[in-house]
Amino acid sequence: MDHFPTNWGRPRNDAFDPYATYPLHQRATAKDTFAEGVQHTQQPIVTGTSVIGIMFKDGVMLAADNLASYGSLARFKDIQRLHPVGSSTVLGASGDMSDFQALQAILDDLTTDEFTYQDGHDLGPAEVHEYLSRVMYARRSKMDPLWNSLLVGGFRDGKRFLGYVDLLGTTYSAPSIATGYGAYIAIPLLRAAVDGKEDTLTEDAARALLHECMRVLFYRDARSLDKYQLATVTADGVRISDQIPIETEWRFAEGIRGYGAQTQ
Amino acid sequence: MPDGSFAHSQQRSFNPYTDNGGTILAIAGADFTVIAGDTRQSEGYSIQTRYAPKVFRLTDRAVLAVNGFAADGNMFVKKVKQRLEWYRHAHAKDMPLRAIARLIQTMLYAQRFFPYYVYNILGGIEEDGTGAVYSFDPVGSYEREACRAAGAAQSLVQPFLDNQIYFKNQTAAPGQSHPTHLPLPDVLAIVIDSFTSATERHIEVGDGLEIYVVVAKGRSPQGLDTMRGVQEMSARPDGDRMFVIRRDLKKD
Amino acid sequence: MSIMEYNGGSVIAMVGKECVAIASDLRLGNQALGISSNFQKIFPMTDRIYLGLPGLATDVTTLRDTFRYRLNMYKIKEEREIEPETFAHLVSSTLYERRFGPWFIEPVMAGLEKTPSGAYKPFIAATDLIGCINFAKDFVVAGTASSKLFGVAEGLWEPDLEPEDLFETCAQTLLNAVDRDAYSGWGAEVYLITKDKVIKRTLKGRMD
Repeated sequence: MDHFPTNWGRPRNDAFDPYATYPLHQRATAKDTFAEGVQHTQQPIVTGTSVIGIMFKDGVMLAADNLASYGSLARFKDIQRLHPVGSSTVLGASGDMSDFQALQAILDDLTTDEFTYQDGHDLGPAEVHEYLSRVMYARRSKMDPLWNSLLVGGFRDGKRFLGYVDLLGTTYSAPSIATGYGAYIAIPLLRAAVDGKEDTLTEDAARALLHECMRVLFYRDARSLDKYQLATVTADGVRISDQIPIETEWRFAEGIRGYGAQTQ
Repeated sequence: MPDGSFAHSQQRSFNPYTDNGGTILAIAGADFTVIAGDTRQSEGYSIQTRYAPKVFRLTDRAVLAVNGFAADGNMFVKKVKQRLEWYRHAHAKDMPLRAIARLIQTMLYAQRFFPYYVYNILGGIEEDGTGAVYSFDPVGSYEREACRAAGAAQSLVQPFLDNQIYFKNQTAAPGQSHPTHLPLPDVLAIVIDSFTSATERHIEVGDGLEIYVVVAKGRSPQGLDTMRGVQEMSARPDGDRMFVIRRDLKKD
Repeated sequence: MSIMEYNGGSVIAMVGKECVAIASDLRLGNQALGISSNFQKIFPMTDRIYLGLPGLATDVTTLRDTFRYRLNMYKIKEEREIEPETFAHLVSSTLYERRFGPWFIEPVMAGLEKTPSGAYKPFIAATDLIGCINFAKDFVVAGTASSKLFGVAEGLWEPDLEPEDLFETCAQTLLNAVDRDAYSGWGAEVYLITKDKVIKRTLKGRMD
């Protein structure tokens, strides 16, 4: 997956904005003839980077940092990108944060509606994932997508669930999934530690693994932050942690030309 | 431009499609049909998941394989299944295979100007008890065939099938002729060989293989029912029988 | 329009037990229009090395002559025939010379290599159009039907085929692959190289 949300759903074009500065240096001067018509196919403006998620022995764990970027500017550094849905599901979002907030509103309305039926049913992770895939696919089919890559994690009736949905309506599930840069950097680490070992991986080991992945992502993903949150879903329900700081070590950079402060 | 100026006005449009790789294949026998697909789903050079089914049971005697853009494929299968359920409610029976084929063509052509980016292969048992394969293009052109491969490794697999199923470029021994339909064990061997070959030479094919076998009512499953790792999913033991065979493919 | 598909054509080479085979189609086209059904793409380089040159037809002719010249020079200087592996590097460097304005050819070669003990060892290799060598142990393919050739060869080929079995495997692979390729076909020829003889067979193929 392309790690620049700006490029999602678009043909690749290095000639245009080769330094990925958008939207900072873009100032459209040309008058849009059709400005009063229906506006479709926006672009992501304020974006969140990777979300990573794994299955473990007793449930599912998701992690996402607290940054919302405006192009290359670290604009909002206290944004929560993990959102509980009902009592057994959590949603993690990368991509456009305003679209994500719209989705939160839709899902909150949905859970309220489901609650008011008082029929003894509520939505589990599989249902939320299916619902989101329909919303995302319907919007892409209107050529007016919600510019996100989403992870849905949950635990219900003794079964784990971890699924992915994106702006095209593409879906899948797997024991470990990551969006954005995480698909390149975190997935190799996660697959080695998780796939085939979901039934034995402890919660502590899962937490340590995600912490390590968030650290590696912070070192290499320029749109990431050293502060993240963890969502854990088990039989006990959804727990979203406080903000967790990532401790980093940069002394190695001193001796490397182009890394640390240069004397010459 | 890199300096922040605008030499030309820029417009980049949203592309509602992607390619999720993978390959599907179906072969019809005299009284059975084999429909298979690998289980890898990818985008670009990334493997999204090692298990995303592309082959779906529609009725007791019809199986549909979809390949191309996964979101369209899943939505299309969902809608076909919904139409078949409505048919069951209206007529108290399953829709016949050739009618499903025509239904699929109509549903695909309905999206002629915003197509489902999906190649479909429908396999199963016809009303006369013969094995049948129908293959479609994304906008609904279709024909009945004895065998068809589609997807990322179509160009690798189809000529192999021409040779092994249709005996193309092979001359029968004097006084003898090629069989019109192969027995099930031979077909399964060819299917498995096709996918191991495609896995070897195509990066988008691999991880797992799912083979559906539909055997006509009253016909022998030719040893399949006792084969290792075969799951039977027939609705009734006295009707048409359906089996799934799952195999690992290389994961690299 | 890709220049590699301008004239069409495909070549394959396979290793067998103490033998090698190399085969090509015979079509020469001008895009979709068939021009000739007798356009050879495989040429003998020595008694035991054969070279297939699928790609742009004008470069087929030029490269065939270039290699004839270079092999003559090699023979004069070295006072011996070239060995297949050395020849593969000659092909590679000849193509890499034109790195930024390449010959539009993807050569495939097959031959028997003389070992110190005096026995002959099968050798095949192929390069891309700028000379990156692929020393495969099983088979190599090139040309407009290459993906089809890969698929069929991967299904039919097995190790240590006897000469006549290798011929059949190679011929069947080529024929079935080019029948699914619009730019290749119109007849074929197979060279079967063993330690004491080379057999050339011209095959009938579909003419559509």
